[in-house]
Amino acid sequence: MSNLENNQRILKIFSNIRCLNRDQLPRYLDGRLTDVEKHLVEQHLVDCDLCFDALQVLQQSQYREKYQPLATSMQQYIRSSIKRASQVHKVERYQRQEQKKESFLIYFWIVAAIGIGAGSIYLVQQQGKFKTPVSKAIASNTDLRTTQSETPPVQASIVTPVREENEVSRKPAEPVTTPVAAPPVVATPPPAAVPKPIVKDSVKATVKPPATVTAVKDSIRDSARKQLAATPKAPEVKEPPKDKPPTPDRKDTPTVVKKAEDKPEPKAPPKKEASDEKKAAATPTNTDEFLYKAAMVYHQQGDLNEAISRYKHLSESPGKYGELSRYQLAVCYRSKGQTGKARRMFKEVVRMNGSMKEKAQAALDNL
Amino acid sequence: MLQQLTNLSDKELISRARKLKDQEAEGVLMERYSHLMVAVCLPYLNNGPGTAPEEVYPRLLQRLSASLKTQTIPKANEWIHYTIRAQQAQTEKNSPFFPSTESREQQQMENKVEKVTTNLKEQQVLAAAMEQALDKLPAEDKYFLKEFYVNNKTFTELAATKKYSVEKTRQILQQAKQKMASLLMNETYE
Repeated sequence: MSNLENNQRILKIFSNIRCLNRDQLPRYLDGRLTDVEKHLVEQHLVDCDLCFDALQVLQQSQYREKYQPLATSMQQYIRSSIKRASQVHKVERYQRQEQKKESFLIYFWIVAAIGIGAGSIYLVQQQGKFKTPVSKAIASNTDLRTTQSETPPVQASIVTPVREENEVSRKPAEPVTTPVAAPPVVATPPPAAVPKPIVKDSVKATVKPPATVTAVKDSIRDSARKQLAATPKAPEVKEPPKDKPPTPDRKDTPTVVKKAEDKPEPKAPPKKEASDEKKAAATPTNTDEFLYKAAMVYHQQGDLNEAISRYKHLSESPGKYGELSRYQLAVCYRSKGQTGKARRMFKEVVRMNGSMKEKAQAALDNL
Repeated sequence: MLQQLTNLSDKELISRARKLKDQEAEGVLMERYSHLMVAVCLPYLNNGPGTAPEEVYPRLLQRLSASLKTQTIPKANEWIHYTIRAQQAQTEKNSPFFPSTESREQQQMENKVEKVTTNLKEQQVLAAAMEQALDKLPAEDKYFLKEFYVNNKTFTELAATKKYSVEKTRQILQQAKQKMASLLMNETYE
């Protein structure tokens, strides 16, 4: 323990002690300090010339009298200068804060303006997107009216109404597929079905998203059902123009088939074929027609398997649709790469000796 | 704010005044030593032109404030004493303050002692080294140091035993301490 104390005392030689404060200075001079405090002060005085000089001066009574008032005034002088400085400092700080606030507000409004601008641009773009299909539909409607006025009444009475309207909306420029004035003649389609297909077909023609395609399928199925229900009525209406369709059929089919031959894509020929089907609509088998069209939709979508199964189902039926579906079946096989089956189907079409004979023969030669 | 600043050490106040340009810190530092400045300057007041207290003290404060921003100040009391002496000598040339080698050695020893306060083992090692250095000092220096620091004698008691004046006693102690510091620092460099 004594060793420890001794160590502490030796270390004390180099201990750092603060200068005498305002209170200690006169007390030391008057000898009013405790022994410990006095020793500490003296330890400091060994090193500090400033404190020792101050004590030496203040030991003289003449200076001692002057000291107190001067020390107080000096303290006040320093404090007042600090106050001023601190006030200036505070003002500067306040100004800096204000500037910061202002700059923050400016940034905020810039960001807000950019956001609003971007939002409005986005909205305008969105509006533009929504407007285009509507305007297209309106445009197709106007075309429809013009074509309606141009079409001869005889042709109009020949073709089935629903699909024709669709065709018109899809291809307004073609005068061959115009026969639209049917709605007043044929009672089969529902009244609401007239405007709907136009919009759907226009959408289908542009993008063909899956949702719209399913909608189209449904519409086709519905219309097929309705057609089925209305079959007894239909023949009565369509009987008189029955004689005419064969001639346009023969004229049209080769051209369409040529187009299909030119384009290797599976989508292109079916569309043309679909237009051909309208000419053959005079046949009594409306069910086959709609089934054929449904199969065409699958074909257009690229769902070859489904299209094949539907064509197969149709191929057994007698008449024009049997031949057409066999031909399409062959096209499907060809596009699937099953050339053997495609060849067999084309041969069958040739053997049937129908309107598609030449086309099938040409396809067979190309295979 | 002022209350908080008064609790800071000289070193912290100086760094605040320098780095943050905190004039309050500078003011607190000046106020801490103002009474000593006043006392030391008293004999030089009203001795000639420009020595009135209204002129001397503000000039001194300005001089200190200017040098605070540029000079290295290890010990504020030494720096203030140097500046007062320079002003009293009326040297217009503002020669910068540099602590003496003895002062630096002493301060290094003070820092060492402050470092080991929390570690008993290191304290023992340092105390042993200091005792060895103490033994190497002249007999009078050793006597004065031992009597003053170990036996807690006052200046007047020491002066009385050797029949020296208090000033002389203090001077002997100061020199002995400086010798001891240089001995210890040279030992560490060897």
